[in-house]
Amino acid sequence: MDPISTVGDAIAAARPAYDDLAAFAEDVEDEWSYINDLGPAWIERMDAVAEARGHEPAAAGVAEAVPALVAEVAAIDDPHRAIDWLSTFPQVLLVALGERP
Amino acid sequence: MRFQDASPDARAVVYAGIQADPLVARAAVLLADATPAQRVLARAVMNGMSTGPSAWQAMFPTLFGPGAPVAGAERERSEAVLAASLEVAERGEQVRSQVRGAIVESVTELLVRRRSGAAGVATGVAPGVAPGGAAAAVRRERRILFDGVRAEIHPYDVTVETPGAAEAIDCKWGARGINADVLHQLDDARTHAADEDEALTATIVVFDAERSCLVRLERQTAPHAATRLIALETLDRLAAR
Repeated sequence: MDPISTVGDAIAAARPAYDDLAAFAEDVEDEWSYINDLGPAWIERMDAVAEARGHEPAAAGVAEAVPALVAEVAAIDDPHRAIDWLSTFPQVLLVALGERP
Repeated sequence: MRFQDASPDARAVVYAGIQADPLVARAAVLLADATPAQRVLARAVMNGMSTGPSAWQAMFPTLFGPGAPVAGAERERSEAVLAASLEVAERGEQVRSQVRGAIVESVTELLVRRRSGAAGVATGVAPGVAPGGAAAAVRRERRILFDGVRAEIHPYDVTVETPGAAEAIDCKWGARGINADVLHQLDDARTHAADEDEALTATIVVFDAERSCLVRLERQTAPHAATRLIALETLDRLAAR
């Protein structure tokens, strides 16, 4: 993972893990539509924060928060839980960045 | 329109045991007063993989990091929310799912009991907790009966049985729990009440971000335009009606 010094760095570092999570969640075929609606909705929110605050220095602790979040979702071994985390992941990231979900 | 206790079937008996778990009550009291960030912490931990506190403390720098309060009520609540959530996470997968659901219902009940309109006359109860009349008005696991309409099988999680301000509330852990059956049942209650010239608010409480709930609702064809959505960020609205 690249060093995290700005808000934009933090979001960029988190995004691949989110994409992996979405791909894993798609194993639940019945929820394909929800998964493919949910991911873009949250990516839009993360992109909006990156655009608005991407240049800002990351607050204390953010550089440690993102790898911890990425490691947490990497450990998920159940696609149903992955669906739940498609919603939870961006909320945790946004809270770490001082945003409301 | 009238309210009735749900039948004490096997599911109800098992679920009553979950609802009576002291951990459910402890977590609910904490989350009723929690900040949105603390509620996100609870949501993450209760459905997370890590069962030790350090990973979560790292993930939530605004609550536990160098810039967070090192002491005081907010910090204490963050620590307590984390501890209670970890206890939930340490339960087996099926049990933790049931406990999470019971917690959302208990938080909902606590917040609804704070409504001034539902408070009745205070008689030696803790501030913010509805006594007497309100205790009778806010109920759990109740069915709603209408003349000439077959009763729903599933009870509502929380009901407000105040004349003129009745409410049927269903509670969900996540946005994925929003489905056609729930939306139909809530909307049916509202429309049947209207048929009897009674006002009844239909509410779905989801311990998940509003954005996820709206995404879920977008594809639902079941009627829901008149159903109130309370999401994780807006939980406190339950106390204000």
